[in-house]
Amino acid sequence: MFGAFSGKPAAPRSHADCSGCSLCVLVCPMWRRSRDLRFSAEGIAKALQCGAAAADLVQPLDACCLCGACDPVCPEGIDLSGLIMDLRRSLPAPAPRPALLDELEARLRREPSAAEASRTAPLLLPGPELRGDSGLLARVRTLLGLAAVEDDGADIALALELGVAIPPQRLGSFLASLQGHTIVAADGLLLRQLRRWLPGSRRMGLGAALASRPAVRGRLGAGDLYVIEPRAYHADYERMVAFYDRLQTETGCALSLDLQRIAIPPAAPGLAQKLGLSAADDTQQAKWLLQGRRPARIVVESIADRGAFGRVCDIQVVHVAELAQDPDLR
Amino acid sequence: MNIPPNEPGTVGPCPVAPDALQGIKRQQTNPARWQGEGWAQFAAAARAGGIDLAEGAVSCGPYATDAGGIAYGLPHGAVVARSAGQVAALLGLAQAHRVPVTVRGGGLTTEGESVAYGGVLLDMTGMSRVLAIDAEAMTVRTEAGIYWHALAEELRRENLDYLSAPLNLTSSVGGTLGVGGIDVNSARLGCSADQAVSLQVVTPTGEIVECSDTQNAELFQRVILGYGQFGVITAATLKVRPYTPLRMQYYYYSSLRKAIEDLQMLDRNDASDYSGILTIKDCAVNLLVAFDSDEREAAFRKTWKSRLRGYGEFGFALCMAGHYALRPWRMGEAFYLLRRKREVFPEFRRAEYMRDGKMHDRTVVYSRAVWKHWGSRNMVIPDLATTADRFVEAVERGNAVCRKYFGCYTLYCVGIRLRPDHAPHYEMSCIPPAAEGWAYGCEFEPMIEGRVYSRDHFQSFKNAIYDIGVEMGASYYRFGGMMKGYIRRVFGDALVDRHLAMKRKADPAMILNRDVIF
Repeated sequence: MFGAFSGKPAAPRSHADCSGCSLCVLVCPMWRRSRDLRFSAEGIAKALQCGAAAADLVQPLDACCLCGACDPVCPEGIDLSGLIMDLRRSLPAPAPRPALLDELEARLRREPSAAEASRTAPLLLPGPELRGDSGLLARVRTLLGLAAVEDDGADIALALELGVAIPPQRLGSFLASLQGHTIVAADGLLLRQLRRWLPGSRRMGLGAALASRPAVRGRLGAGDLYVIEPRAYHADYERMVAFYDRLQTETGCALSLDLQRIAIPPAAPGLAQKLGLSAADDTQQAKWLLQGRRPARIVVESIADRGAFGRVCDIQVVHVAELAQDPDLR
Repeated sequence: MNIPPNEPGTVGPCPVAPDALQGIKRQQTNPARWQGEGWAQFAAAARAGGIDLAEGAVSCGPYATDAGGIAYGLPHGAVVARSAGQVAALLGLAQAHRVPVTVRGGGLTTEGESVAYGGVLLDMTGMSRVLAIDAEAMTVRTEAGIYWHALAEELRRENLDYLSAPLNLTSSVGGTLGVGGIDVNSARLGCSADQAVSLQVVTPTGEIVECSDTQNAELFQRVILGYGQFGVITAATLKVRPYTPLRMQYYYYSSLRKAIEDLQMLDRNDASDYSGILTIKDCAVNLLVAFDSDEREAAFRKTWKSRLRGYGEFGFALCMAGHYALRPWRMGEAFYLLRRKREVFPEFRRAEYMRDGKMHDRTVVYSRAVWKHWGSRNMVIPDLATTADRFVEAVERGNAVCRKYFGCYTLYCVGIRLRPDHAPHYEMSCIPPAAEGWAYGCEFEPMIEGRVYSRDHFQSFKNAIYDIGVEMGASYYRFGGMMKGYIRRVFGDALVDRHLAMKRKADPAMILNRDVIF
């Protein structure tokens, strides 16, 4: 009788559980670009079901931008982007080996640094792009009242992206430095993994943290298209979909969501673009995001998205931290 | 026992008829694999013609089965459709080399209709772009491999919507037009196939033809609801309408008969914009009605609401509590109902889809819920389509079959408004020949939920449902693929032979979707 209470089994789901519903295809940027089922999480899962190995799937694995859109829509609860990252790690490095991989592996082997903050202070993991814009970083720090830690796991985030194995010692020391802290991370992929590595910790994406600030929120209006950083959003979908729904209701801004309430990435660079082996991503995603929309201003959470819109329109693009006129007003 | 395989282009004796296989357990009816005669020459010619024909597990694996997950088969090669010209070249070559071509859209068939048992799998989702939206004429021209969801995304940017589409966003437009397409507004707006204004079709011999009710009408009649036998739809012009959110109302019944009678009463009187029945077994029967405008809802409240015999959620909960308190031996069923309610109801009330009490993007809400709470690696969804007056009987008999074969199941019932001028379209389709005004359809879907059933069990269940249809002179939505043994029994030899003759004329080598109907 009590078996009637049990639903689908809660065990981790694998590619074998893919039922072929294609909901992940609908939200997949690489499918949108290729219109080819093989270039989708479903295509990869189904090929694996038919005996394909990772080496047979190099093209779709490389083309995936790891936006994570497939994860929340999968009705079977399969960790599809995790599957793709796992498969990427099992692939051999491209030949000739890009210098970036050697540099990254050297960084990952470095000695762990001493803890930098008190055991409870919130930590800001800004990532390399925000670090590269010192003015914006200072504004972010002021708005959030957080110090940026020196070891923000940028090498770990890059290793996740490129499918490079992370030495346990390096990962252990990084996670130890985060234990007990509230974490605000700019890199959505890192945030996604921190959710798994540090269950129970308090984490938030940089965009959502900034959008929580009255000084930022109060400056959003009906003419704005607010562009969500997809990885952080999809990694914590149930919470974030409610958060951004409130943001939209309260401010009247448009969101970069599709009808499934999945974040559309303005750019979808694959592995080759990340490794610098081919040119920047095409403009298709940004054009699609803007199709039928006529915003007066575009507000982006990710610095990288500025460039994507700059290539396809002349609408003003600002980073969410730049909305606050006086950053001292939190 | 040696049962010889059917030759392509023939419809042999039904292996599941009452007078066949006496005393032998009924078996499912997968077709034999095409053995690949002349494949190498065909593949070479296709590649020489610039057709990207992919072979191997990576390319063919994604197409190994359909949404039913029961029929499995691999093509020799797969082609992603890119243009009508490419599809025409492919079919021309396939015709010359006698290579079967199986066309797949969203792959949401359940009887293996979109599974290739050898030959070429043509994936139409490669042709999935919206070509033009005409907001004045209220039409959209789109490539036919587009998913309904992708079409909805583009229309929504223009504040438009399609008229009706399956409650499953990963159905493709072309595949839907080929079989019908039923929505919860079909009782008012008809099936999806009836919203097609014109089509671009590639015939089985490789001609590209535009057709409509006024241009090449005979081809239009055969392709619409034609189960892919007479051509590949490569583009379609569809009617559209202004986008509106809708306000839902739910009424709960413990009697299937009362719920169906009330549904038909609403449909006859055009009392709501959307109507349908969704059940948890036959214990909790949910009649949903919805409205595009406040005016329509107000008129419903004024005139029709009081005539419904269903309860609100709270009233029904009280009824059920009393019912099970008196029947403690059925508490397992009560727990199941509670669990389903706890799991499913929140899906239809997610805050991000609700504004001011109205539901936005209903098909997303339905589709995600359908896959999350009804989806499974195996799905069998036999159905019955009848005239309005015989529908209650069909559902009650089908329900008895469900109770016999499965512990848990769902029934989904809707009306389909018929267009008298489209009578030729409905010939040998899911629309029963005797239907006038409306046809009614019921899907009988067992809840698999990780349990393992044999293919024989599934097939026996489907046969038991379909036998009801034969006895009642009904039709079915899913009569192709593994269920094609019922075609002669349901439609009769004269009609089937006439269509077979048309098929042979249009497709001399019988290459196109050969295991679906003929």
